[in-house]
Amino acid sequence: MSLAVPLGAAQAGGILQIPCNSLALLMIAQAVVVLPHMMQLSPWIIAVCLLCGVWRTRVYQGKSAYPSRGAKAMLVVLGTIGAFASGAGPLSLEVFVSMVVIAFALKLVEMNSRRDAFLVIFLCYFIIAAEFLFDQSLGIAVYQVFTTVVVTAAMIGLNQMHTDTRPLDSARLAGGLVLQAIPLAVVLFLFFPRRMPLWSMPLPGNASTGLAESMTPGDIATLTQSGEPAFRVQFDGPTPQYRDLYWRAVVYSDFREGTWRLMPPIREEAQFDVAPEAEPVSYDVLMHPTSRPWLYSLDVPVELDGRITLLADFRLESEHPVTSTYRYRLRSVLAHQRGEALSPAMYQRETRLPEGDNPRMIAFAKTLHEKSGSVERFAMALMQHIRSEAYAYTLSPQTLPAANSVDTFWFDTRRGFCAHYAGAFVYAMRAAGIPARLVGGYLGGEVNPIGGYLMVRQYDAQGWAEVWIEGQGWVRYDPTAAVAPERIESGPAEALSAEDRSNFSLLAAARLDAESITGQVLQMFDSMEHRWNLFVVGYDGNIQKRLLGDWFGDVSATRIGLIMVGFGAVCFGVIAFFLFFRRRSVAIHPGVVLLTPFSRFVSRYGFALQPGELPEAWLRRIGDAVGFEADANKALSNGIEAMLYGDAAVDDRQLRRLLRRLRWKVALSFR
Amino acid sequence: MAAALADRFSAWLDKRIPPASSITLTQAKIFIFPTKVGFAFSALLVLMVLLAINNQSSLVYGIAFVLGSMFLVTILHTFRNLSGLRLEFQSARPGFVGEDIEFVVRLVRLQGRGREGIQLSWPNGIPQWGGVFSREADSVRLYVRAQERGWLNPGRLLIEIFFPLGLLRAWTWVDLDARALVYPRPEFMPLPSASSGRRDEGVLIDPRDSEDFTDIREYVPGDPIKHVIWRSFARTGGRDMVVKRYASYVEPRLWFDFNQVPGSVEERLFRMTGYALQATRAEREFGLVMPGKRYEPGIGDTHLEAVLRTLALHGLEKNGLENP
Repeated sequence: MSLAVPLGAAQAGGILQIPCNSLALLMIAQAVVVLPHMMQLSPWIIAVCLLCGVWRTRVYQGKSAYPSRGAKAMLVVLGTIGAFASGAGPLSLEVFVSMVVIAFALKLVEMNSRRDAFLVIFLCYFIIAAEFLFDQSLGIAVYQVFTTVVVTAAMIGLNQMHTDTRPLDSARLAGGLVLQAIPLAVVLFLFFPRRMPLWSMPLPGNASTGLAESMTPGDIATLTQSGEPAFRVQFDGPTPQYRDLYWRAVVYSDFREGTWRLMPPIREEAQFDVAPEAEPVSYDVLMHPTSRPWLYSLDVPVELDGRITLLADFRLESEHPVTSTYRYRLRSVLAHQRGEALSPAMYQRETRLPEGDNPRMIAFAKTLHEKSGSVERFAMALMQHIRSEAYAYTLSPQTLPAANSVDTFWFDTRRGFCAHYAGAFVYAMRAAGIPARLVGGYLGGEVNPIGGYLMVRQYDAQGWAEVWIEGQGWVRYDPTAAVAPERIESGPAEALSAEDRSNFSLLAAARLDAESITGQVLQMFDSMEHRWNLFVVGYDGNIQKRLLGDWFGDVSATRIGLIMVGFGAVCFGVIAFFLFFRRRSVAIHPGVVLLTPFSRFVSRYGFALQPGELPEAWLRRIGDAVGFEADANKALSNGIEAMLYGDAAVDDRQLRRLLRRLRWKVALSFR
Repeated sequence: MAAALADRFSAWLDKRIPPASSITLTQAKIFIFPTKVGFAFSALLVLMVLLAINNQSSLVYGIAFVLGSMFLVTILHTFRNLSGLRLEFQSARPGFVGEDIEFVVRLVRLQGRGREGIQLSWPNGIPQWGGVFSREADSVRLYVRAQERGWLNPGRLLIEIFFPLGLLRAWTWVDLDARALVYPRPEFMPLPSASSGRRDEGVLIDPRDSEDFTDIREYVPGDPIKHVIWRSFARTGGRDMVVKRYASYVEPRLWFDFNQVPGSVEERLFRMTGYALQATRAEREFGLVMPGKRYEPGIGDTHLEAVLRTLALHGLEKNGLENP
């Protein structure tokens, strides 16, 4: 029997109740799509989502009505106000996510036609793509494949017979479709030309951890240590010594009111000399998005590709802010001299101090400098001062006032982390009229034993000082070494007190303890993550050019296009072969298909079909012997009889179910 | 212009998929094209690629490529879902002008896995689902509004699917050589009075208004008092009460003569259709006189069908347009 459904109207986008199958899947799809953002949502939004789900279910059951026009308008206004009120700022990511989720939930209540349903599905797909802008980790990617399957299943539900309710079958088919799409997608991924951005579109900054344009040591009461990865490095040769791994990122040259700030670059060439016999270190950096243009490097990078600029203060900057995982290759020479002469502009910049701030420090520095005689001895004296006086390294320092913050730290509190010491050091240098600056970056990293790469995490962040010494150029001084030498020699784990350890998140703490099982498992996951980042996330135009060049030599657009089409056609052909031609050459009666495995199974229990026995009689015999329920037994034998001799139009699903039950009975009775 | 194109297309279609009462769909007979949703989906993919380019995000490329490839793979699924199906014209029930005529088309899945989301429809008809997912075959009832009497050819049957994703529409038109007889729209008028007939032909007795004396019989309560033979009553002292019976033999068979029914040719056909139906309902024999054709009186469904068929095809067969 067929059901009269006026579908002509439905195809044209008319009003038609969305089939139950699809509606259920759509609701699940929406939930699955929103789930990764659950942490960012206020509880009331989740409540609204649940309410909308219940409402729409009631509409489907005919217990409630769709919202009226006025009610809809009111809900939209309330939702918008709510989203803005609960977010951090008017244009923050939280507000954006809240808005999308609310719109999603309200659309669910309102949606009643196929057209609405398609709109919601397209929105789901787009949100999946947009989520990759914020997180491209392996875990999220796997989750999003799952999400894609669910959304696709909802789409399939829209095109099935409306009386069918088989959400699991739809999901299975959706899984098949996605799976079959993957080989073709891989071909496209490898060959599709990667272009540079067409226009720049700033994304809301989402780097909650990591370095910033400014640093105010006095504001931080507790430096929370995050185990989030900052970047990974693969060295071509052996990993240099830990103490050489000063990853430079930001230069803070401006100090005012207790805050160190990044300044716009001076338009000068970065000058440096490298020791002629020195072996350069080559490495690939795979950095996590920072929404900022700076890149990480070891001093001093000598070979750069066109996308990267070396600024006068030896910072590296990329063309665009790094908004997604970014991979670049560098060569650095660790034995070098940076800078021959200091330009007046540079001198002015690197010696400037605010007037009237920190008078005690200025007096102290001037006296000490005069006593020392040279810049180097002065620096040594400062380091010695930190070592010999009662200074302590801690992640939980006291907060400092904006005015005279260096004085307060240096003479009164005497407790702090790298930024305090390096900041005070630079201040003292400048007070004595010596050019100096504060450098922000990372120190060290941890070699992953499985992947062999260096992993640098946010808790490896470090601040140090650079001092201009006539004849030597810019020289690095790390005053933290004076207060916590372990930090410089072997990493953050050693430098921490028990109190400081509590500032680490549980996972970060486990990572620090590389010997434990948890630590090892985490290392393994991290190694997988690294491969993922290296080969998938980091795959860009440059790598594409290199890879395709290695494989095919000539990489002209036409050639690559043809190769892509060729590979695509092969994938397509293989799928077509499996879909169309892997069929039985002779059409076998469905009854035989149904009974053959069953017969093989029950024969093992001595229930083989006797010669001359009719299949339905055989089934009855088995059913009676093992105590199969009488009506089920009758339904089965009648159904099989109808299938074998009567109309082929028998619903074989029920027969399958009955046969399965009979199998169980047979198996159980012989146990 | 459009009409000419449509004609050429239909001629081409006749050559490509010639009419037959049973047609098995093969790839060569199936057409496929993206739907509006499919085009919108393509636009979405372009948007995603732009997003990927602008943010240099490999995984946004990745999801766009997966969805794009899925679109391509869907072509195969759409084809497979339709190919290998057989369509048979099973039966059609005749009806009257203005009614929805029922055609039964059988959809058979010859081999392969269950097919989904198949819709069948005549041009201008309401689409129906054909359920051959869990079954091997399905009889689909399709209705066409009958506009005029004679043979109704519903045209080519449209078989279409949007399965699996609604991005593509695969369809084909098959001419199953289906036809149904459409009878004229009946117009109900009082039956023409029967002519009085001869005694030997008569069956029906009408005791009320007749003048002819037939016989006598014993009085039964309810007999008209004026028919009582009072002389006989008096003679027997009130023991025998007999009544005279009058009767007339009526020609029981109705004759509907085309030439005697008023109105235009079509109006006469309407009325005669009405007569035939009324007579059958009243369980009376009737005969038909058509120009150059005469149906001896008869009764029953077979007779009625033969009569209605004549009325339906009156004047049409001569044109050589129709032959059953």
